[in-house]
Amino acid sequence: MSKQENSHKNQSTGRKVGKSFLSMFKRLFVRDKLELNVLEEEAMRTPMKAVLIKLVNNKMAIIGFCMFVAVFLFSFVGSWLNPIDLFYVELTNRNIRPSQNILNYPAELADKNIVVIESGVSFSVALTDDGNLTVWGTECNTGWPGISDFILEVPEEIQNAHIVDIAVGMRFIVTLDDEGVFRGWGHAAHGQTEIPQMVETFMMFDGARDIAEILAGAMWSGVLSDNGFLYFWGSFQAEQNFIVPFEAQGRIVGVRAGDVNMILLLDDGTIMPMGVRGTEFINNVPPELMDGSVRVEDVVVTNRNVLALDEHGNLHIWGSSIDRLNRFPDGFVPERVVAIAAGYRNFVALKDTGEIVVWGGEELGVIDTPRNIEDKPVARIFGSSFQFYAVDEYNNILGAWGNRGYLFGSDDAGRDIFTRLMHGGRISLTVGIAAVIIATFIAIVVGLASGFFGGWVDHTLMRLADIFDGIPFLPLVITLSFVIGDAMTEMQRLYFIMILLGVLGWTGLARLIRAQILVEREKDFVLAARSLGIKQRHIMSRHILPNVFNFVIVSVTLSYATFILTEAALSFLGFGLREPIPSWGNMLTAAEDATVVQYFWWRWIIPGSFVVLAALSINLVGDALREAMDPKSEER
Amino acid sequence: MLIRFVIKRIIILFPVVIGISIILFIVQHIMPGDPVRALMPPDVRPEHWQAVYDAIEARLGLDRPVIEQYFRWVYSFFIRGEFGYSTMMNMSVNAAIREPLRNTIILNSFVIMFHLAIALPVGIKMAVKRGSLFDNTWQVFSLATFSLPAFFLALTLIFIFSITLGWLPVSGMPNPHLLQGRDLYIGWLRHLALPVTTLVIMSLAGAIRYIRNAMIDALSQDYIRTARSKGLSEKVVIYSHAFRNALIPISTIIVGVVFSLFAGAVITETVFGYNGIGRLLIQGVNNRDRMLIISTNMLFALINVTSILIADIVYGLVDPRIKLK
Repeated sequence: MSKQENSHKNQSTGRKVGKSFLSMFKRLFVRDKLELNVLEEEAMRTPMKAVLIKLVNNKMAIIGFCMFVAVFLFSFVGSWLNPIDLFYVELTNRNIRPSQNILNYPAELADKNIVVIESGVSFSVALTDDGNLTVWGTECNTGWPGISDFILEVPEEIQNAHIVDIAVGMRFIVTLDDEGVFRGWGHAAHGQTEIPQMVETFMMFDGARDIAEILAGAMWSGVLSDNGFLYFWGSFQAEQNFIVPFEAQGRIVGVRAGDVNMILLLDDGTIMPMGVRGTEFINNVPPELMDGSVRVEDVVVTNRNVLALDEHGNLHIWGSSIDRLNRFPDGFVPERVVAIAAGYRNFVALKDTGEIVVWGGEELGVIDTPRNIEDKPVARIFGSSFQFYAVDEYNNILGAWGNRGYLFGSDDAGRDIFTRLMHGGRISLTVGIAAVIIATFIAIVVGLASGFFGGWVDHTLMRLADIFDGIPFLPLVITLSFVIGDAMTEMQRLYFIMILLGVLGWTGLARLIRAQILVEREKDFVLAARSLGIKQRHIMSRHILPNVFNFVIVSVTLSYATFILTEAALSFLGFGLREPIPSWGNMLTAAEDATVVQYFWWRWIIPGSFVVLAALSINLVGDALREAMDPKSEER
Repeated sequence: MLIRFVIKRIIILFPVVIGISIILFIVQHIMPGDPVRALMPPDVRPEHWQAVYDAIEARLGLDRPVIEQYFRWVYSFFIRGEFGYSTMMNMSVNAAIREPLRNTIILNSFVIMFHLAIALPVGIKMAVKRGSLFDNTWQVFSLATFSLPAFFLALTLIFIFSITLGWLPVSGMPNPHLLQGRDLYIGWLRHLALPVTTLVIMSLAGAIRYIRNAMIDALSQDYIRTARSKGLSEKVVIYSHAFRNALIPISTIIVGVVFSLFAGAVITETVFGYNGIGRLLIQGVNNRDRMLIISTNMLFALINVTSILIADIVYGLVDPRIKLK
């Protein structure tokens, strides 16, 4: 062949390829107007092309394919963009429903004078100087009557009263009105929202007349009387830990409380720690703050750490080293600070230059101070839980940052379900793929051996398949997963589940391949090939295998969906992948509890829907493939 | 002829059953944990401990070589029908599985009843009116339920009918100590409603497609054209000519469905807290109850193998063209 001819041929091939791509695009996105008559059509199509055209024209296949691509991108790209800390938990934020509005304070607050803003796990409440309350955020309670009222529904008698003080616990709010009446609502399983008889008796005994201040912690409430006595009630933990030292009673002017520790501000400007003994919180208090040599202006606390502002504008910090909250951030000079605030795991300091410094835990956006308040005159910062609000000197809200909410809600360990869904999807889809590959490999080897060799090989292999088929799949997988997988680490378990599903799931496809080979072997074209003297090996690989291949593809697609469903069922029952590794199945395990089914719908409907979506999309594609490859389908 | 065919099929099944029993026995043998310890009385004094331990071990036959243990187990399971001792229930496995097995059979009877009542007419109508709205709707239904995990469907049903509407109990069994007579039967029906619905929906997906395709095959045969050209009414053509021939493949899938229900109910029974054999298996696995685990698995396997055998025989019986070879 001359060179010229050769290049000419190449050119035409290139053009052909370009043309076929173009026409494929046309078929994909533009309706093909050119109608061919039957004969032309028949003549033009190779089997592969015919299958492709049928697929592209099948709307369900396209929908299924797009759905699968979406799920795939969500799982793989999403989990790549959103790395996860498998061992992260934030128990306070458990079971928060899907939302993005935790920080969306109502616009009418702009022209009111805010006295204080306090936040619970997913809501905030502002007290304005006209004695009214404004509550915003996301509902975090289940609405069990008497135990867990909805937090966003302010009771009428509290709405009508003139409120002078508020305190917010994890999921409840307590208020004090101008007549000295203590009221509250929210999740009050420990009776935090009303003063118990016992405390009232104590107050009478100690000679207290009025309540000066109210406070609230995770699951407890407290009151500080006008003569400096402090009382607590609520959860057992609080009643055990908070025993007010005798020498402090009667001298207390203020209290800053974490869950198990607190700082008492005394009338001589010193402070006294209180709570669980032996912690850095109690032991590491700077002595100058306790002996009266420096007066303390303000103190804020997290659960384990304290930040104190003294009369000279200097800061003191101590407590546990978790989240590096026992020291200042690098480059931060603890001087000329005008205001401090503390969230659940963060400290915030406002300098006289207007600079806001946040340090501590980095999750949930608590360190992302918004751009729009950088050049505004921030006077005060209100922080609690994971929400922070900056307020100017006229008491208007300038901006907010922190936890906006969970797009798909949070689970019972306070983890973001959205992120776990991505990583769970990556793992569930990968387990499915790996299992399919293993199963298909075994099935092809067994099916081919059985179909090619026949005789005793066939007999033995088919009896083996009978044995595997004879034991019901799910009970056997459950048993094996428990027997062998129990002593494994979570990563080993992941691989073990893949292998287990693959090793037990090959029989169907192997039978199919064997049967198909037996059918194809008897067909005329094989006879023709044989009569032409083509070698047995070639007949097998060139003539029979391609015809079997179609069945393999269809079967692989359909069994991929099955494996995803099986993994989900297995993990749901607790015999598959286990926490903290997320998978769609084990995210659904919680739904074995009827409380979760009833109140925390997002924890099972959303992961369940993703399983259905993935399986459905794969089944749609598989079904379309089967239809496209089945020569009889056109007749039907 | 038939008897020889059946015997031949049974002989083929022997190696399968033996293989399954070996696998299951190995599984229970390598299971972690000590079954003897589980049965040790709590108040044994230290000096008697070893003696009591040895006595229990001897009673369970665990002091013998593994091979001997296997043959003893096969002997007691297959010949004497004694399934061993359940450490979880502290009674013989036979006694432990009696009630769950009865409950599962009750559940499955309802499922099969509804399954057949829906699958047959729907499948036939789909084939007769193929391409119609009816056909397409059920096709979509079938595809959707194929993609639906059983537990998710169960949870959704609980959410809708038990929690939101409050019509049916969330889970559990009727209490025979609290209910009597007519109330007990109503209690049974109320507790069965959701598990039965779940299992029927899950088992329909495959069956209606299969029946549809079998009917379509039958309807495209020449004798149907002949029957039509003879002027027979469409009803006779469909039910007398086509359906009878479609019955051959259909009968096999029905046998398959009936038997696969036993093992398939594991998840449904667990979600609904229904005291059936599948839930017992899960409990047994969680409590490392060896004999219970292999006995239930072996029972499932026997049921499965029997179903394959029956399907074969039925196939031979229904279709006179198949020579029972």
